[in-house]
Amino acid sequence: MTLLLDVRAATMRFGGLTAVDNLSFSVEAGSIHGLIGPNGAGKTTSFNLISGFYTPTSGEIIYRGENIAGIGTHRTAAKGLVRTFQHSTLFQEFTLLENAVVGCHLNLRPSLAGAIFGNDRRRRRAARERAEEVLEFFGLAERRHELASELAHGHQRALGMAVAMAANPTLMLLDEPFTGMNPEETKRMMELTFKLRDSGVTILIVEHDMHAIMGLCDRITVMSFGRLLAEGVPQEIRENPKVIEAYLGGGAHAA
Amino acid sequence: MPEERRNSHSLAWLAVLYAGLIALPYALSYSQQEILVFTTINVLLVMSYRLLTLTGEWSLGHVVIMGCGAYASALASKALGLPVPLSMLIGGVIAGLIAWALSYPLFRMKGFYFLIGSFAAGEIIRLLWKRFRDPFGGPKGIKRIPDLGTIEIGGFTIDFYEPVTYYYVALAVVSVSLFILWRIERSPIGLTFHAVHWQDKLAESVGVDTRRYRIQAFVIASFFAGISGALLAHYVGTINPNRFNVEEMVYVLTWAIVGGTATFYGPILGAVALIVINDILLRELGFDQLRPMFYGLILICSVLFLPKGLESLVPRISRLVRRGNHNPSPPKVQPQEGAE
Amino acid sequence: MLELLAQTALNATYAASYIALVAVGLVLIFGVMGVVNFAHGELYMLGAYAVVALYADAGFPFFLAAAVGLIFVGIVGIGMERTLFRPLRDNPLGGLVASIGFLLILQSLASVWFGVRMEHIPPSTQQILRFSDSVSLPVQRLYVIVGAVILLTALWLFLKRSRFGWALRASAQDPEAAALQGISINQTARIAMFIGAGLAGVAGALTAPLVRTFPYMGHSVIVTAFIVIIVGGVGSLEGAVLAAVIYAFVHTFVTTFFDGVIADIVGLSLMLLVLIVKPTGMFGTADRA
Repeated sequence: MTLLLDVRAATMRFGGLTAVDNLSFSVEAGSIHGLIGPNGAGKTTSFNLISGFYTPTSGEIIYRGENIAGIGTHRTAAKGLVRTFQHSTLFQEFTLLENAVVGCHLNLRPSLAGAIFGNDRRRRRAARERAEEVLEFFGLAERRHELASELAHGHQRALGMAVAMAANPTLMLLDEPFTGMNPEETKRMMELTFKLRDSGVTILIVEHDMHAIMGLCDRITVMSFGRLLAEGVPQEIRENPKVIEAYLGGGAHAA
Repeated sequence: MPEERRNSHSLAWLAVLYAGLIALPYALSYSQQEILVFTTINVLLVMSYRLLTLTGEWSLGHVVIMGCGAYASALASKALGLPVPLSMLIGGVIAGLIAWALSYPLFRMKGFYFLIGSFAAGEIIRLLWKRFRDPFGGPKGIKRIPDLGTIEIGGFTIDFYEPVTYYYVALAVVSVSLFILWRIERSPIGLTFHAVHWQDKLAESVGVDTRRYRIQAFVIASFFAGISGALLAHYVGTINPNRFNVEEMVYVLTWAIVGGTATFYGPILGAVALIVINDILLRELGFDQLRPMFYGLILICSVLFLPKGLESLVPRISRLVRRGNHNPSPPKVQPQEGAE
Repeated sequence: MLELLAQTALNATYAASYIALVAVGLVLIFGVMGVVNFAHGELYMLGAYAVVALYADAGFPFFLAAAVGLIFVGIVGIGMERTLFRPLRDNPLGGLVASIGFLLILQSLASVWFGVRMEHIPPSTQQILRFSDSVSLPVQRLYVIVGAVILLTALWLFLKRSRFGWALRASAQDPEAAALQGISINQTARIAMFIGAGLAGVAGALTAPLVRTFPYMGHSVIVTAFIVIIVGGVGSLEGAVLAAVIYAFVHTFVTTFFDGVIADIVGLSLMLLVLIVKPTGMFGTADRA
């Protein structure tokens, strides 16, 4: 088993507040890994550290043997580490196909000369094919000419993943993918996540609701108050008294 | 409609449009022909501005960038003695280069701060023109800028000093420029500009270097603004710092906003409509001192009652026309626009 | 040399006074309504013409004319809020264009009523405070300084003590939260607009005998005011006052020891520098860009 992502003693301070404190964990290639914790545990900050948006105050984010701490989101994407967003962060004014084509940016490499002289026709066609392919993968192909804003909530989430998928990720970071979903949408999202993993993408899910991802993850890392609280397979996490206490003490929706 | 038929349709319309544009000067008085030349140049200016707004940024320095093209082209032809067409190209390139240099400080800002920052940068450039008599000529600017001259073809003399002939030159240059701008917008790079505007975080997440694309749009927009400045300089023959002040910028801004920037034709509509109203209609009516007042009222009414710009009228009008022409089989229920 | 410095400092204090009045009004309007009022320089112009009409032409006392200028321009401000900025509350770019339209209307009306010629009206007092042979301050300028100090102190007390002041600050920070607490946004915006416009008007009124009055005089004032609110921090009244002082001193000293164009370049560069290094300004906290 190889480590794809290795977070080493990452610490993030904002002024006097330590949002993430000496956090270490690692993600194995080909797995679905969960990062959970009650409100205010520092999940979102960790997410932003891994996706290159924040530069950690100290510590390293090793991805495929290379420290990517703070290099910026578009550079981590170029290395194959792609994030998704909470809610429906999409290009609402674009069609589904255009959304997916923007996702192909790294292969499309839009250039001024190509725009004017049209000598990038092959790349444009390849991007379009790739875009159609990912829409097919997420069951959105038939609606490819509709506007993203016209989609139902669950489909918007799927489109968000399709856009990320178009960028050919090795590791995909999912930001609370189950928030606000009804049971049926949740079930569908889980199927998609498995399908994604089976196609060779490693997945790191940051999630508030631990029950939603129990059946999904191979391993789970639990955070509380910015620190690592526990790590293990879902069964261990479920039975870990510290985890139960953190969730109950936090008054969160553990049930 | 199948795509090919639609294409040939639009080509036919374009041919009609250009036939009209070519015939247009002969229906106008001399002073109106001059306004026509300025309008053509201003269409390029406002369309280059639109390219920048595609990425979501609104600048207040665009007219100064146009001025950079005008000064560079004027100096290249006058001081260095280069041929005018080459000077114009140099004007565009210099304007683009200046924008590229400015982009490093300016694109640390966004939104309102970019607006004000671009204004400050532009004013500084303008004050430098004022301050340095050599080579910029100080407050009086540069005079006797070489024009395109005359050429003789088989006994005919074509004088490019005449508004009509210069209009054709400008029309050709502007048409080519607009075609390039249109190609850019319809290409992946145009899609990326839109993406940067609407959701820059999402764009970043799939590898788009948003800053780089903002800079690219700014530099391309500035190149074409520079070309429009060069067209202006070699037509009027005199340029000075005041010609590129913030009031001129306000005109460009209002053309874009009144016309709307969502479509390719929006800013053209805005520029042409407002120039015709201001420079032809109001002038003919003779309200000389009250002209700014009417112009101001039109601006206010258009943002109050037509917030999506003149361009938002076009689909409605064409729907009306179509209904009139084809007498449509059962009237389709159209979601009412503007009912929200 | 010391005397030149002292004299320049006095000149700078005078400039700082009216710039602060204009800039504080602009900040107040931007803070509460989120709108960039491009017509602010024309409100200043309107105040100056109030003094031209009432004091120079009709012969009323100078301070009465100035007070009328404040109230009249304040009422114009209320009118702008009601007809332009309220309907365009969700459209900041539209608000900007509307204010440009209004600026053109005011300029045009002024040039029809008063002509485009520059008016030079007689001062209301010839007295000059002499500190030494070459250091002096015309009392007319002292009026501007004292007027600014009184009005800005009064505004400061008003904002600190009154319920309106609390409402103004609350809506500047978060209009929605303010509305939830039962603050009327319309009422608050109206008061902010009255005060903001009135301050610009009184600045124009008080300086009218010291400058040339003409329909386009607002232009240089608005540019200066923009520089000041950026340097001071958009949304900070104290910052605007302090930045007005800094700007006036820098500009006046550079003008005295180099020349006016260089002073303008230095002022704009100062603003650009602040934008690059700390876009929220030296004292800014509000972020409504």
